[in-house]
Amino acid sequence: MNKVRKLFTSLLILVVGIAVILPPCSGSSSGKALKIGVVGPETGGSAQLGQSQRRAIQMACDEINEGKLAGDWKLEPYFQDDEGNPTKAASVTNKLLQETRVHTIIGAINSSCTLAVMVHTQRAGIPQITAGSTGASITEQGNKWIFRTAVNDSHQASALMTYASETLNLKKVSTFTAADDYGQSGAKLLKAAADKAGIEVVVEATYNSGDKDFKPQLLSMKEKGTEAIFLWGVYIEAALIANQARLLGMDCQIFGASGMASPKLMELGGEAVEGMILTQSFLPESDNPWVQKFVDNYKKKFGDNPIPHAAQAYDSVYILADAVKRIDTTAPAKLRDAIAGTSGLELVTGSPEFNPTGDDVGKRVLITRIEKGAFGLVEAIVIGQ
Amino acid sequence: MKSHKLTSSLKGLHKWVLIAVVLSIPFVVTNLYYLHLINLIGIYSLVVIGLNILSGYTGQVSMGQAGFFAVGTYTSALLMMKLQAPFWVATVMAAIVAAIFGVVIAIPALRLTGPYLVMATVGFGEIIRLVLVNWVPVTKGAAGLTGIPAPSFFGFTVFSERSFFYLIYAVVALGILVAVRISRSKIGRTFMAIREDELAAESMGVPTNIYKVAAFAIGAAYAGVAGSIFGSFSGVASPDGFTFDDSVGFLCMSVIGGNRSIFGALIGSITLTLLSELLRFMQSYRLIVYGAILLLTAIFMPQGLSGLGPILREFLSRRKRDKKSYDDVQCSQRKGR
Amino acid sequence: MYYLANGLPIGAIYALVALGYSLIYASAGVLNWSQGDMVMLGAYIGYSLHRLLGLNYVLSLLISMLVVACVGMLVERTVLHSLRKRSSPSINVVIGTLGVAIICRNVALAIWGPDAQPFPSPVGSTPINIGNLRVLPQDILIVALGVALMLLLQYFLKYTREGKALRAVAQDRMAASLMGVDVGKADMLAFAASAAMGAAAGILIAPLFFVTFNMGAGIGLKGFVAAVVGGLGNIPGAIAGGFFLGLIESLASGKISSGYRDAIAFSVLIMVLWLKPSGLFSRTTKETV
Repeated sequence: MNKVRKLFTSLLILVVGIAVILPPCSGSSSGKALKIGVVGPETGGSAQLGQSQRRAIQMACDEINEGKLAGDWKLEPYFQDDEGNPTKAASVTNKLLQETRVHTIIGAINSSCTLAVMVHTQRAGIPQITAGSTGASITEQGNKWIFRTAVNDSHQASALMTYASETLNLKKVSTFTAADDYGQSGAKLLKAAADKAGIEVVVEATYNSGDKDFKPQLLSMKEKGTEAIFLWGVYIEAALIANQARLLGMDCQIFGASGMASPKLMELGGEAVEGMILTQSFLPESDNPWVQKFVDNYKKKFGDNPIPHAAQAYDSVYILADAVKRIDTTAPAKLRDAIAGTSGLELVTGSPEFNPTGDDVGKRVLITRIEKGAFGLVEAIVIGQ
Repeated sequence: MKSHKLTSSLKGLHKWVLIAVVLSIPFVVTNLYYLHLINLIGIYSLVVIGLNILSGYTGQVSMGQAGFFAVGTYTSALLMMKLQAPFWVATVMAAIVAAIFGVVIAIPALRLTGPYLVMATVGFGEIIRLVLVNWVPVTKGAAGLTGIPAPSFFGFTVFSERSFFYLIYAVVALGILVAVRISRSKIGRTFMAIREDELAAESMGVPTNIYKVAAFAIGAAYAGVAGSIFGSFSGVASPDGFTFDDSVGFLCMSVIGGNRSIFGALIGSITLTLLSELLRFMQSYRLIVYGAILLLTAIFMPQGLSGLGPILREFLSRRKRDKKSYDDVQCSQRKGR
Repeated sequence: MYYLANGLPIGAIYALVALGYSLIYASAGVLNWSQGDMVMLGAYIGYSLHRLLGLNYVLSLLISMLVVACVGMLVERTVLHSLRKRSSPSINVVIGTLGVAIICRNVALAIWGPDAQPFPSPVGSTPINIGNLRVLPQDILIVALGVALMLLLQYFLKYTREGKALRAVAQDRMAASLMGVDVGKADMLAFAASAAMGAAAGILIAPLFFVTFNMGAGIGLKGFVAAVVGGLGNIPGAIAGGFFLGLIESLASGKISSGYRDAIAFSVLIMVLWLKPSGLFSRTTKETV
């Protein structure tokens, strides 16, 4: 029993030690401040998404605070890195809620992380906006605290398939999607949209993120006589797939979704992605004044064109600023209702309006084509109509 | 073999004070973020205790422990969600299923040592993760399971961080007890004999294969139980939480803490969990510092942090030399029995 | 035939990385878990020299290999050397080099950012038709340079004084030490050569797969698999293992469900290990402790 006792003693000393060493929480709030917790992957595999989100949110908060766009309210962002790991996401959410005492949370990007964050925001009764997660299950939880400014994938899928069938008159297509939550939900939605549009899906292939060689799957698509390939994933793999399809001598049309809409796609894909058709939530080259202002400022600050994730995160901050300005309080329940009642705002990705499950139905879906290394607008569709 | 140098006169009192203090932690630590971390530490330490039984006692290194952890989480969550099984049934099943997986991986691993064994366990962890991602009808694919029910006992639902604390640390205490029992039993001594010299153990007539498989099964069962609690604790589970990096994390906890003692498992999970959280103020440089600390600990503390224990004790015992010799006699008598 | 052509270049890359693992294992008897991140560092340094400073490809390749070799030596000095002095268990080397890997990856993230960087091929990207096969010139370059580097390493091991010393240490560390071979120096050499091989692999693969801060994790793990399949510590085995893995992957993703491909590959590996515990291509069983 001696050893048991010793173990217990050590356990005790350590646990108590932790409690003593860690400082007590401080819930001080300075004046009229809306504290926004931001959760996203700033390291790890999806770091480029998390860092874009961080930049856009920091920029939006600076703009709002300088221009006093939220009345007397100052926005204070608090950034936490979830490393793309749901357990870490849950921990940092707790940190933000308990220690920083944030009034609302923007996050996360990976759907698995967003779902883990939601458990805690719901328990605490704090509104949460995700600007990056597209997984269908997020707004199917019956959780009234979650809102989504990311583009709804089902609208993108049906817009693409309708375009493929009506304008391009395609009959046989293949889907080629990432084996992650984004790609898996995309694959399901593409299949449904294809059935509706009367298009036959001849190959439904997947790849694991980090894969580098896609020729075997492409070859089987070629053998089945596919006329178009629908990709659902991120830009690195999309560029590789386009390159390798070209290497195999396939000249079929390639489609993609907003997840890969980044200037990097053209930089990495070069010639191979010319003519590729993508849906996205905003076009950096658009002449919409909101988009212009956002892109100009972003470019000035960070030297890059923003990706859709950044635009959606940027809009999320403006939605929050508008909400807090209207109700003039940070009481979570009121803030939640104010976000739900958002209307009449003109933002970068459309004029947001949330449906009862928390999805933004005021978004534009843009069908774009890559021409000479830039996105060109083909068609704009407003989801609500 | 570790603690015999301390007097045992206050034994009874010690124990009760200890229990009282542990029980009062949720009332002292009112910040739920810290309580959340303390709970996570409890769950991780269960996995690491299992890993230490495997690697510390029999010398078999596993870099696939997140795989067993995942098996436990998904088994228990699916049983509760699909069959409405009570939590304790689901947890027992999680332990059993994880142990079966442990046996399955142990059999091909029997002939392997060193890097080859590492490879096999890495492969196992990856296989589990890929199955979770791709077996969409059951595992819901990469987005994972949501709405995993909270445990409930006799109508009382464990939901808050505070009630989870009691559940988790009750299981941790049980886990420690079992581990101590194992390490003191014939099984434990055989494990250590295998670690020190497998050939010698075998020539003494020990069926080493059976013991090695058993070590894998026990290690896996610990991870399975931890996984079951983890699922209910998080409410969600997805393959992103059970990657190769997580397996490596468990191994680091085991080695940094010191993989030859159960005490080391606790130290390791406390240190690394807190470290990665406490370094958050450094923002993006956090992981660089984390890597450096791993590196330095590996270099300067070959026996892990718990290796500091004997050094400290040595220092203390020098002052109580007369006491020590008495205790040593006691100990050898106890061992002889 | 198609799968062969497809598997060769990636196989050559795996072989280069696997060589790194095997060389270090042969000489020092430990696993270097930062091998994959040497690939990443090599690619980034090559990228910086070639794209940002405008140096030519071959020069970038050589400088990058040299720089990363120094990093490799540094790793040996800080991790292995200090651990040996304290006679630590070999698992600590794994944790120590893992720490190095985490540091490298996040330093790269801080310096070069989270985005993938393009690295244009020095030989253009117009496919060449050979018979009914279409091959990228870069593929041919990878195989050619990869094989050349492997031959160079063989030459170094067989005919130079340092190489002979390294082989002696690999054969019997104790005896070599007694014969007056500086085993510490041999270890350092093994780490340097391994890191240089990794760097070369990184630069060769970059035009095909771009440069990212976390590219090392995947390639490093695959290289480890290749080394184990070939029998760790066995140099020709590592090369064979690399090409074998490249071909198997190419075949498997064409013939088997792509989502489960890696799972199947790993299952096959575990079975292989079960049947032949010290690698597919090993001639003798090596005792490891």
